[in-house]
Amino acid sequence: MSNPATSSLLPLCQLSAGSMGMVIELKGEGTFRQRVRELGFGESTAVKKVSGKSTIICQVNGTRIALSHDAARQIMVRPSHPPVSA
Amino acid sequence: MSLPAHVKSGTKQPVYAFVGNPNCGKSTLFNALTGLKQKIGNYPGVTVERKVGTAYSQHGQPMTVIDLPGAYSLAARSPDEAVTRDVLLGRRTNDTEMPDRIVCIVDGSNLERNLYLVHQILDLGRPVILVVNMMDLADKAGLKVRTGQLEQELGIPVIAAEASRGKGLIELKLAMSRPDLPLPHHRWDVPAAISSAVAEIQASLQDNDQKPPLIARAEALLLLTDQDQLRVAGSQPLSDRTAAILDGWKKRWSDEGTDWSGTLVGARYDAIGTLVQDCVQTSDQTVDQSTSDKIDAVVTHGFWGWAVLGGIMTALFLSIFTLAEHPMNWIDAGTVALADGVKAAMPAGDFRDLVTDGVIAGVGGVLIFLPQILILFFFIGMLESTGYMARAAFIMDRLMSRVGLNGKSFIPLLSSYACAIPGIMATRTIEDPKDRLVTILVAPFMSCSARLPVYLLMIAALLPTGEVPLATKVGLMILMYAMGTIGAFGFAWLFKRTLLKGEPPLMIMELPPYRRPRVKDVAMQMAERAGLFLKRAGTIILAISIVLWALTTYPKSDDAINPAEQVAQSYAGQAGKLIEPVIAPLGFNWEIGIGLISSFAAREVFVSATSVVFNVEEDEEDTAPLLEALRRATWPDGRALFTPLVCFTLMVFYVFAMQCVSTLAVVKRETNSWRWPLFQVGYQTGFAWLLCLIIYQTGTALGF
Repeated sequence: MSNPATSSLLPLCQLSAGSMGMVIELKGEGTFRQRVRELGFGESTAVKKVSGKSTIICQVNGTRIALSHDAARQIMVRPSHPPVSA
Repeated sequence: MSLPAHVKSGTKQPVYAFVGNPNCGKSTLFNALTGLKQKIGNYPGVTVERKVGTAYSQHGQPMTVIDLPGAYSLAARSPDEAVTRDVLLGRRTNDTEMPDRIVCIVDGSNLERNLYLVHQILDLGRPVILVVNMMDLADKAGLKVRTGQLEQELGIPVIAAEASRGKGLIELKLAMSRPDLPLPHHRWDVPAAISSAVAEIQASLQDNDQKPPLIARAEALLLLTDQDQLRVAGSQPLSDRTAAILDGWKKRWSDEGTDWSGTLVGARYDAIGTLVQDCVQTSDQTVDQSTSDKIDAVVTHGFWGWAVLGGIMTALFLSIFTLAEHPMNWIDAGTVALADGVKAAMPAGDFRDLVTDGVIAGVGGVLIFLPQILILFFFIGMLESTGYMARAAFIMDRLMSRVGLNGKSFIPLLSSYACAIPGIMATRTIEDPKDRLVTILVAPFMSCSARLPVYLLMIAALLPTGEVPLATKVGLMILMYAMGTIGAFGFAWLFKRTLLKGEPPLMIMELPPYRRPRVKDVAMQMAERAGLFLKRAGTIILAISIVLWALTTYPKSDDAINPAEQVAQSYAGQAGKLIEPVIAPLGFNWEIGIGLISSFAAREVFVSATSVVFNVEEDEEDTAPLLEALRRATWPDGRALFTPLVCFTLMVFYVFAMQCVSTLAVVKRETNSWRWPLFQVGYQTGFAWLLCLIIYQTGTALGF
């Protein structure tokens, strides 16, 4: 139904495990945004969510990064493989 | 006539700084290069470790090497990173020379992220050597790093290395020996919109703060776009003029609503992206499910993760309490033998007593914990060098976030089970200052090994031997540890809601890939810790031991027949009597009061202090005579002093009260004021008193 261009943004915590996404927007305080960007997690980075519900592991540029749920909620991503068949 | 320091390298010992992200293998490289020629201490005013070593060039010339704390960025978030930034910018010239040359170490398997810091450092305009470490891991990940290409693009020496196998060391040494290191040709344009601000602040830094031009430019960039100006003690402040200009620009931008820091980070990553595209060949993603993934699937699993962590913790505690027993006995026997030797060799008198009862007994009583501290650091070192520690913090985050802390507070609290001092020093990696302070405030609740002798003595006094099963004793011991732990979490929760209210921390941390532990590095870390501990025992604790000895020895009375009477009328005895009204409601008399006071040197001194107070023949190997004496002790009206209830109350008091001068000294240094250590004395001891009052009074009312 949805194609990548119109698919809506999700916070990283809601991305399903194993799927990929692209970081579109960072929320939260300035210090947090800067740290996230410096960890290579900035806008237009491809991110793969590895696992996690309350604490989340994801893969960015070959690095594994762990985030708390609250942190993941501040990172808005666009799923790059929208569910084709459900 | 004076040339810049990096030019006249023939005349002056060149100063190198080693800089890199955490987990890039920087320390391994530093150790390999400097061997045992290292000086380890702290940066004045902060408990960030200061490591300086000497390496030798190909021609045998000494070179100073500073191993700076790992950092992701010069925009510092933790005291550790602040020190790295300040040393590089020449803001700590009071204690650390500004380095002439910089060795940047990067993880080849994660070049893009690692190059961010390098990019900031290239701004400084110092000669830089780039070491691309972990080439083996990069290979495994299917990445081909073309170091020749990188060298051409950046214009600086680039060395491929595998520090853990010693590869690349000789090349690095050769590069460091070069008298003429080229300056990087570092081309990247500051976004035009902020360039005038950068120029103005750069000019002011050169004129008013006497900074060299390129350093000034780099610092101007940092000042303008660093969100949070984290300052630590020992960092030289900006001149008023520069600060005023900076405020002006920041204000203007915030009025315009622009966020330049994001733009700048983006501009840097764009430049890095181009560089990486040219210099790194990526083969198609061959390895999907790597070994790290497989291990992570287990150790971060909802159930198995806890099981693994629990298993490791159990092994840690078992080792601390069982493996350490024999070496501790040897140290104990050694100090007793030494004291006996001195007694035999010296004429009787105050000076002999000072040496045996003050110096040897006091310092020996603390040295005895060395084996436990070594075991703790062996475990911590192994867990850190394998990469597991970050996973432990990850698992604990769920639990810690309930009380408003994050997973990074776990390591300091774990260390505090051995001793609060390394625990408090480990808080320096916590980024949020409030979280850090809360962790420092509650860390002393974790039962350290110095409380163990007190618990053991009280449990023995509480439960007559042979009549109670071992399980009861063990259960009582576990109860003490549990109470302390619950206390720590409870107060952390309370502080995060009241005194140090703050947003729940947003935890974001890197999980390094698993690695084979480097036994040599772990051993070196243990040796460092042992050295620091021994230094402390030889200075602060030595002084306190002498003072305590004097307090229990003077004033001398002529008619004191036995040591117990002498102690009773000494300054310590008077102090004990002075505080008796305060502690009597808890069931403690003045003799116990002396034990409590002397515990300020180290809690386990309680045991030796009580044996002096209750006039027990000296026999450190055997607590039986002391137990006998404790059972005989009475109040003036003939009631038994050490009833089971009093023993239990006393244990609870030791769980919660703040009684350690060394810890207070570290907290003072860490927080840079007496306010927090004094607060700790107040709230911890106050809470201990209140809780003990409730326990003792309720217990008495119930007829125990």
